[in-house]
Formats: sequence, structure tokens, C-alpha cells
Amino acid sequence: VQNEEMLDEITLFVNGRSLTAAVPAHTTLLQFLRDFAGLTGTKYGCGEGVCGACTVLVDGKAVRSCTVRAAEAGGKKITTIEGLAVEGKLHSVQRAFLEVEAFQCGFCTPGMILGAVSLLRETPAPREAEIRRRLEGHVCRCGTYPRIVEAVRLASREVRRG
Amino acid sequence: MLLLAGGPVHVRLAPDGSVAAYTGKVELGQGARTELIQAVAEEMRVGVERVKLVMGDTGLCPDDGGTWGSLTTPQTVPAMRQAAAEARGGGLTAPADWKVLGQSLKNVRGRDIVTGKQKYASDTKVEGMLHAAVVRPPYHRAKLLSVGELPGARVLWEGDLVAVVAADPVTAAAGAAQLKVAWEPGEFAAPPSDAEKLGSFFQTHSTPPVEGPGRYPPLIRKGDARGELERAGKTKESRYWLPYLAHVPMEPRAAVAVWKDGAVEILSGTQAPFSVRSEVAKALGIAESQVRIVVMPPGGAFGGKQRGEVDVEAARLARLAGAPVRVAWTREEEFTAGYHRPAGLVVIESALDSEGKLAAWVHRNYAAGAPGLPTPYDTPHVSCEFHRAPSPVRQGSYRALAATANVFARESHMDEWARELKVEPLAFRRKNIADARLLAVLEQLANVPGGLACTIEKDARIGLRAQVEVRGKEIRVRKLVYVGDYGAVLNPGNLRNQIMGALVMGLGGALFEEVEFEGNAQTSRFLTNYRVPRFSDVPEIEIRLLDHREIEAAGAGEAAIILVAPAIANAVFAATGRRLRSLPLKL
Repeated sequence: VQNEEMLDEITLFVNGRSLTAAVPAHTTLLQFLRDFAGLTGTKYGCGEGVCGACTVLVDGKAVRSCTVRAAEAGGKKITTIEGLAVEGKLHSVQRAFLEVEAFQCGFCTPGMILGAVSLLRETPAPREAEIRRRLEGHVCRCGTYPRIVEAVRLASREVRRG
Repeated sequence: MLLLAGGPVHVRLAPDGSVAAYTGKVELGQGARTELIQAVAEEMRVGVERVKLVMGDTGLCPDDGGTWGSLTTPQTVPAMRQAAAEARGGGLTAPADWKVLGQSLKNVRGRDIVTGKQKYASDTKVEGMLHAAVVRPPYHRAKLLSVGELPGARVLWEGDLVAVVAADPVTAAAGAAQLKVAWEPGEFAAPPSDAEKLGSFFQTHSTPPVEGPGRYPPLIRKGDARGELERAGKTKESRYWLPYLAHVPMEPRAAVAVWKDGAVEILSGTQAPFSVRSEVAKALGIAESQVRIVVMPPGGAFGGKQRGEVDVEAARLARLAGAPVRVAWTREEEFTAGYHRPAGLVVIESALDSEGKLAAWVHRNYAAGAPGLPTPYDTPHVSCEFHRAPSPVRQGSYRALAATANVFARESHMDEWARELKVEPLAFRRKNIADARLLAVLEQLANVPGGLACTIEKDARIGLRAQVEVRGKEIRVRKLVYVGDYGAVLNPGNLRNQIMGALVMGLGGALFEEVEFEGNAQTSRFLTNYRVPRFSDVPEIEIRLLDHREIEAAGAGEAAIILVAPAIANAVFAATGRRLRSLPLKL
């Protein structure tokens, strides 16, 4: 059982700000964000890294935050769904999800959007099969997959148009 | 604020011209909030942005039923329209004149969803809140024997409920993992994963149904079906099986309970705030007036969040702790501490007359349930029966309930007849259908290839073609073509979204989902050993809607899910000559 001495003080760079919290050893990045930093846009879905709900960007790449210890993310640039829009202006992937209504309950959406952002950074013009393959690790139990593919394609066209 | 209309829902006009409406229904991703706002805006003649809809708060909203059975569209929308029209002081707007209803208004909370601002029950935090990690038995129906000591940890224990609470959930979970708790294992009354043994357990332990009223009557009789079966020359009997399923909402259940002066307020992710209020009051031994359930939008529910297990746990632990307590289930708890979709056995015996039309139909469902029992086929002698049977594992509601079981059996059985008679499956159905709207749905599918299934479900006329490719033992669904007549289409964009989602969810139950057990424990405990549909499973999906503005809208959150398994099974038969009568379909 944890006690005061076993808490680690961790500072992470999240959405352009330094956040410091004293957390128990083994605290995951997901727990740091949700339970210590109050950033609840990142979701817990499975705890095994197989549903994608906890996806955040670490140095621009999609990472399952439930499989990473918070301490390992020190010195890295972390972006959560709360930090994706810049000064109230939605990211093109967020706009596309809204335009297509690529969600129902919306619980998988933050992770799904960050997974799509990472995919489009690496592959700005993915084919449909590529989108499906790269997002295979994200579960949407409401079953909106076809709309998500459509949203990613829409965002891809927007990004390329500049 | 001036109360202008009461009744089953409330609509109030504020002095500033905004409108506040209240319903006990909950938004769970099915689009209820947006649709109800459309209904109020339409009848009040105000912009949708002027309507404030309060949902699922037992302290503020009327008890107009839980969010289940696709009832929001056929019941709450008309009630809301009526209340709003009365508040305006006018009559109902004729559907032909709708300006807001019938439009694809987008989800009014969409921006909060894509920015991560929408707060779910598991995101809730209140002042002074403790996090609880409940210790679960590894076995089915285990009895608590003893609880060990854990220095430095705060252990709460009452009856069969043991938990560790702490200021943060990491510490609470670590404590719960270390706490030594001894259990006496329980046994299953019948092996839950064994279709043969469980099916015969259901049959031997079932009670025959009696006729009665209700939304899902357990006995529907016409003529003398059993007598006709004996007289008829051409008969057929088949048995169909469905296993237990898990709901797997993306958000596992969560609740935060706060006590004040002997009353408890629970921030909850339930679908059914009023029945959960009763459940909590009963479990805690207090009056219902001392319980307030405030629903946060659940991250998916699918029938799995109708009961208040997690709400009761939070209320009990918060009372023991003397502080607000949050209980947020892990994925493993979501799989094991809730309830499942019932397993079931369906036996159909039927007979044809000399012209190849259905003459008798005896449909017996053991254990799964009564929804979906009424046959859409015009048959002179009918006996559709739900034989209730005890379940060895906890079971409960699930999207579309037993309509999935009953329609899988009926539509497979219809296909078996068509194949035996060497008649086109669509032509055989057409010959046995009198309902003009269902015939119109089938007409749309006449020139579409694929395995066929159709029915009338919750007033909707629906049909599906499934095109599959079989490679070795693998069944790949290539395309689904769905036609639906739901009466008036209130929001086409949302209706299409619901149908698509239900079809995708149906693929799981049709092809691979099944809760498994071994000995006295459940083995399906994680997403890594319970497969749900993913991107790669989804075929091309085409959805056609037949819009009839003049007909009251039917609910649509569930219906489409029930056609997926039979359409695929019928396509697999066409491709392989093998008739699969158990779900999930396995070659």
C-alpha cells in the first residue's frame, strides 16, 4: 500500500504547459492525466492498450496512455484532446468528425481523433484500406466505423488543400 | 419560470423566451437529446438553440420511463410535441409542415464530444471524493468468508461488499489487489458455455407461458397450431441456439455518491434513473425521496446499464466512508460484475399447406425472452411461446432483447423451407406476407443478391441482404444492403447512424461474440479474450429509408441488429450448403 514516501513527483509537458503531481509509483500516463491532472478527455476503456480510448500524442505520435508509465513520459511533448484545438479553432480532424457526425456516445472519439491525427501526420493521403488498418486498434462499440473512415478522408482532403 | 404544460414530460417557457423541457430519458449515443430538442423547437416555433433539455435527473424530471425498448421516439417525442404545442397554445404541427423535425440536425453536443469536454460518469469529481476499488470474487456466486488486514490501507466491508478506498484510484486499486479475501466458490446450476447441456437444462426447468397483456406477451395463439402440425403432410422442426453476450460499452459503469443529511445524490451513468433510484433506496433502506439520481451521459449502454449495481456500491461505500465515493469499474469488472444478454434455445415446428403456404407455426423460446415472438407471416395456426427458465448466470436486458434470438430462428427457418421447396427465399416470404409495408421493403431487395432476412420489429418494417464470402472456415461479410420503413423519419442523419451502428454491432453477435466459462468461473474477462467488431470486420453498408411522414415514427435504436445473424446464416447456406443454427456462426 502506498504511503507518502512512495509518491513520486512527476512533471509532464502537456498541451503546452508543465504539470506537476505527486503520484504513486507505477502510475500510468492515463492515470496521471485523468486522476491527477484533471484532463478527463482521455478515456479509460480496457487497460490493456487494445481499445484505443486512452490514445494521446507523445511527440506527435499516437500512444496508448494506459500502457505507458507517467514517469517514462517526462521531457516529452504530450497532446491530449483538450490541447488539440488552437485558441478555440478546431483541428481539421475534429471538424471532419463533427461534419460527418462520426460518433454516437462519443466515448471513443477523443482517442479516435488523436489516432487519426497521428495517422494523417505520417500518411497525409491514406487510402481507405490504410485508414482501416491503422485505426484497427480503436474500438467504437456504437459501430460508427464507416463514418470515422469518411471523416478521416475528409480531413485528409482538407489538410492537403491547406 | 412559468409552468405551461405538465403531463408525462414538462415544457416550460422562460420570460426571456427560452424553453426548458424535462424528461427522465437519457442520451446514450442514440441521439435522443437532439431529436427531443427538434420536437420541442418544432412545436414551440423557436430555434433549436433556444431549447434547454434536462434529461435523467430524478430531482428535476418526470418519471416517463427508462431509456429502453426504443421507446423515446414513439412515446417521448409525441409527448414532447404535445406538451410543447400546449405550451405554445396551439395545435400539433402537421407532419407535412415540419421545418425542424424531419431534418438531419446534428448532435447538439457534438462540439463537446470532439473536444473532450463532455463529462461522463467516470469523469466526475466532487469535493472531498474518495476512490473505491471493490474486491471481486474470482468465482461465480462466491460467498465471502473472511477479509484480511492491510496496514495503512482503508478497508471498507459490509456484508458481501469489500473495498479499499483512497484519495486516488491508483492507491485504491493497489490496495484492493493486495488485500487478502477468502471466498467460498459457488457452482453454476448448469454449464453456461455448453449449448447442449444448458439447452436441455432450460427445457427441463422451464415454465409454460400463459396468455396475458403487456408489451411483450409470452404467448401468442391463433387457431390450433399443434393440431394442424399433426394433420399436415409437410412439416419441419429445427433448433437454434444463442449464447450469453456481454454489452461491452466503451465506458465501464461508474457512479459517484454523495450523502448529506441522510439523503444520497448519485452522479450516474445509468439508462434508467428512476428504477435505479428505487434499487438504491431499497438496498440502502431509505425512502425513495432520499435518493436523487443525476445522469451523466453514459459512454454506451446497449441495455447493460439499466440496473444500479455500481450506484448501489457507491452509495453503500460512501455511507461507510462518511465521504463522497466514486466507484468506476475496470473493464474486467464490466465483464464480470454486471449481467449478460440471456442465452437461449429456440425450437420451431412448422407445416405447409398443399400450395406451399405456411399452415402452422409453433415457436418455442426457452430462456431468451418474448420480444420478437410475433410472426410477420400470415399463418392460420400459430403458437408463439416464451418458456421462462432460470439462468445459471446473471442476465438482463440487451439491445433488442430476445428479438435477436426469435428472429434468427424464424428467418433461418423460413430460409430452410424456401431451400427445401427450391423457391426463391424472397418469393417464399412474399407469398406468406400480408403486410403491404413489409412487402414494399422486400420489393426494394428483390434485385439485390445475398442472404435475406426481414421482419416487423417495434412497428418498423425492415429487410436485409448480406453478401458473404466463405474461405475455408472463415466467413467474410462483403456487403450489407438494408431497407427500413420506420414511418416518419424524424432525423435522417441520426436514423442512418443508428441503423449502421446496430448492423455493425450485430456482426459481433453473428460471427464471434460469446461469453465463455470454465468450471465455476467466467473466462471472458478482458477485451483481449472477448472480440468485438473492429474496422476490419465492417463490410460495405448501404441503407435505404422509406419515409412515411403520415405514420407515427417507430423506434430505431435496436431493430437493425436482429437481422444480421439470420441474413448471414442464410448467405452461408447459399454459399456452402451448410445450415448453421447456433450463434456465433462457425463453419
